[in-house]
Amino acid sequence: MYARCGRQGFRLSALLMSKKFRFLLAAFLLVGAVVYLMYTGVSRTAVYYLTVQEFEARRPALEGEGVRVAGRVAAGSVQRRMTPKGEELHFEIGDFSTDGSSGPRVKVHYLGVVPDMFRDEGGSDVIVEGRYEGGIVKAQSVMTSCPSKYEPMDEGAQMPAN
Amino acid sequence: MQNIDVGAVALSVAWLLALYGLVVSLWGGWGRREELVRSGEHALLAMWALVTIATADLVHGLVSRDFNLEYVAQYSSSTLPLHYTVAALWGGQAGSLLFWLLILCSMSAVLVLQNRTANRVLMPFVSATLLGVALFFLSLLNFVTPPFDRLPFTPGEGRDLNPLLQNYWMTIHPPSLYLGYVGCSVPFAFALAALITGRLDDHWIRSTRRWTLFAWFFLSLGNLFGALWAYRVLGWGGYWAWDPVENAALMPWLTCTAFLHSVMIQEKKNMLKVWNMALVILTFLLTIFGTFLTRSGVISSVHSFTQSGLGPFFIAFLLLAAALSVGLLLYRLPLLRSENELDSILSREAAFLVNNLVFVAIAFAVFWGTIFPVISEAVRGVKITVGPPFFNRVNAPLGLLLLFLMGVGPLIAWRRASWSSLRRSFQWPAVVGAGCVAALLAMGVWHAWALVSFSLCAFVTATIVQEFWRGARARQSIVGESFGQALARLVGKNRRRYGGYIVHLGVVLVFLAITGTSAFRIEQQVVVKRGEAFRIGDYQLRFDGVRAWQTDHSAHLAADIAVLRDGRMVDVLHPEKRLYKKPEQPATEVAIRSRWGTDLYVVLGSFDEKSGSATILAYINPLIGMLAWGGLVLAAGTLITIWPQRRARAVESWAAEHRGQRSAEG
Repeated sequence: MYARCGRQGFRLSALLMSKKFRFLLAAFLLVGAVVYLMYTGVSRTAVYYLTVQEFEARRPALEGEGVRVAGRVAAGSVQRRMTPKGEELHFEIGDFSTDGSSGPRVKVHYLGVVPDMFRDEGGSDVIVEGRYEGGIVKAQSVMTSCPSKYEPMDEGAQMPAN
Repeated sequence: MQNIDVGAVALSVAWLLALYGLVVSLWGGWGRREELVRSGEHALLAMWALVTIATADLVHGLVSRDFNLEYVAQYSSSTLPLHYTVAALWGGQAGSLLFWLLILCSMSAVLVLQNRTANRVLMPFVSATLLGVALFFLSLLNFVTPPFDRLPFTPGEGRDLNPLLQNYWMTIHPPSLYLGYVGCSVPFAFALAALITGRLDDHWIRSTRRWTLFAWFFLSLGNLFGALWAYRVLGWGGYWAWDPVENAALMPWLTCTAFLHSVMIQEKKNMLKVWNMALVILTFLLTIFGTFLTRSGVISSVHSFTQSGLGPFFIAFLLLAAALSVGLLLYRLPLLRSENELDSILSREAAFLVNNLVFVAIAFAVFWGTIFPVISEAVRGVKITVGPPFFNRVNAPLGLLLLFLMGVGPLIAWRRASWSSLRRSFQWPAVVGAGCVAALLAMGVWHAWALVSFSLCAFVTATIVQEFWRGARARQSIVGESFGQALARLVGKNRRRYGGYIVHLGVVLVFLAITGTSAFRIEQQVVVKRGEAFRIGDYQLRFDGVRAWQTDHSAHLAADIAVLRDGRMVDVLHPEKRLYKKPEQPATEVAIRSRWGTDLYVVLGSFDEKSGSATILAYINPLIGMLAWGGLVLAAGTLITIWPQRRARAVESWAAEHRGQRSAEG
C-alpha cells in the first residue's frame, strides 16, 4: 500500500517535471490570462445596444445603465444651443420604421461637437451612446450613419430624373 | 431598347468556365490525367481574360459616364475627377466584388503560368481551389448583385461618390487591402492541395512563401493606409477605433503574421505542421469573413449601417469552406505528426510558439469583441456591445508581450539556450532597455504602460542593431571588407533574415506611435470668440475668425487659427467645414501641424454666426508620425525579404521539388 502511494507520488513528480506538462501549463496560463482579461474587459465596458423599440420594452431596468441606442431623429425635435462649453443638443429619436412620428421616443441630451451628417430638421439615423439617467440618455457620443460605401443610403433606385 | 453589355456576357461565360475548370481539374487530379488538368488551367486563364474584359467594360462605363448603368449612376457623376471615377470601381458593392474577383483571377493566372512545369502534383487541386473561390464570387456577380444592371431610364446626372471617399487614400487603401485579402487564398489553395494529395512535407510552404509575404505586405499596408485615412479624414483625432470593419482587416493580418513565423519552425524543425495548416485555413476564412462583415450589415459599424442580401451567401460559403478544409485536415491528421519535440522553454521554438499563441489570442479577442453583439443576442436575447476599452484592455498586455518576444525570438538559440548564450545575446539590449527606463524616469515620465512599452522598444531595437553590428563585424574580419560593404553584403546574402529584422524595426516604430498617442495624447474642446486664445500642451491657439467661399462643387467655411509658442506665432492653421453640393453632404477638413513626429491636430467643430463663436477641437498626438515611418520601414524590410535571391533560390526550389517528389513516390 505504501509502495503504491510512493509510486504514484513518483509518477506525479515525473509528470510535473515533464516537458509536455510544463509547456501545457505555460499555454494554460497564457490562455487563462487572456480569458481573464477578456472577461473583465467585457464586464467593464459592455453596454446594451438597443433599438428604440427594445429600449422602450426595457426602459425601467435601464435606469443608470450604459446604453447605446440606434434610431432616427424625430422631425422637429432638435434644439440646438451654443453654450460656453460647446454646442448643446436636445433631441428625440424614434424607430426607423416610423421616423419617430409615432410610437415610442427616447430623449437625448448631448454636449459636444455635432457630427457633420446630423440634420437639424431631423431624419438622420444615429447611434447615441451614454448613460440613461432620469428619463434622458446623456450621450457621450452621437454617431451618424455614414452613407455606406457599399449601398445607397435610402433604399431603392429613386434616381432624381432631372 | 436594352442593349446587352459585353461585361455581363463575359461574366456569365466566366461562370461557366469556372465551373468547367473546377470539375476537370478535380477529375484530372484524381485520375492523374494531365490533359484534363491542362484543360482546367486553360479554363482558368480564359476566365481571367473574361473577368478582365468585364472589369474593363465597367471602368469604360464609369469613364464614359454611362449613367444608364445603375452602378455608374449610383457611384459617380459627370464632375467627378477621373482618378476617383476609376476608383469608383471599388466604391460600391458590385464593383468592389468584381475588382476582388479580378485580383483573384489575375493571381491565379500568374500562379498557373509560373507552375507550367513545377508542382504538377499539387497544381490540379490548387487551380480547383482557386476556381472554387472564383466561382463563388462569379455566382454573386451573376445572380445576386450584377454590376451591369441597367436602369429603365437614363438619369442626366449620377449621385456621385461619397465625399468621404473622395480622398487620396481612396485610390490606394482598398486596392492594397484587397491584394492582401486575395493573396491569402494562394497559400490556402496550396495547403488544401497538400492535404488532398497527402504531400505534406514543407514543399507547399516553400512554394508559397513569397505569395504569403506578398499578401502580408499588402495587408499590412492596407491596414496602415486605413489608419492614416481615418486620421486625416474622419476628424476625431484618432486613427483606430476598433470598428468592426477595421477589425475585419486586422484579424487576417494577425493570423497571417503568426503563420509567417510558425512556418519557419516547420522548415527548420519539422514541427507545428497541423498548426500551420490550421493558421492558413483560418487566415483564408478570416479574409472571407472580413469581406462578409463589411457588406452584410450583420454588425453595425460606422462604415455601413445598411443591410444587404449578401449575408446568407457569404455564411454558406464560409461554412462550406470551413467544413471542407477542417474535414481534410482531420482526415490527414495521422500524416501530420511532428517529427521533433520541444526541448526547452528557453529556445527559439518555444519563443515562436508563444508568439503564435499570442497572435492567435489577439485575433480571438478581436473576433470575440467584434461579434459580441451577435453572441449576446443569441444567448441572452439582448445586444450588448463592447467598446474600444475592451480591445485596449485585452490587447495592450498581449501586444507588449509580442514586442518582448520580437526581441527575444530571433536571437535566442534553437533547441535549448544556455545561460552563457543568453547573456551573450541579451546583455547589452537589456542594459539599453533598463537605461531607457531610467532616462524616462529622469525626464519625469511616470506612465507605467508607456515605460514598459518604450523600454521594450529600446530593447528590441538594441537586439536588432546588435545583430547587424555583429554580423557585419564578422564579415569584416573574415572577408576583409569595409564596414559599409560588409553591412550591405550581409543583408544582400541573408535577405530573409535581415529583411525580417528591418520589418521588426518598422513594427517598433508603430509601437512608438501607438504608445505615444495612447499614453500622452492631449485633447481639448473649447468655445472661443474671435481673438480669444486657449492653451494646449506647449501651444497657444488663437481663433482669428472665419472665411467663407464657394466653388462649383462645394461651399467652404475655414477658420484662421494662429499657433503661438512662447508668445511667438509659429503657424496658422485652417481647419474647414465643407458642404458638398451633390449629394448635399457636409464634411470636416482637419488641419494638422506636424513637428518631430508629433501632430497638433485642429478641427473646426461648428461656428455660430449670431454669437460669432466657434467650437474648436484640438489634439496633440505625440509620436503619431512614427506610424507612417513605421509603415515605410516595414514595407522596405518586406521588399528585401521578397526580392528574389537569384541562384540560391533556384537551387533551393529545385532541391525542394525533388525532395517532395521522392517522398511522394516513396
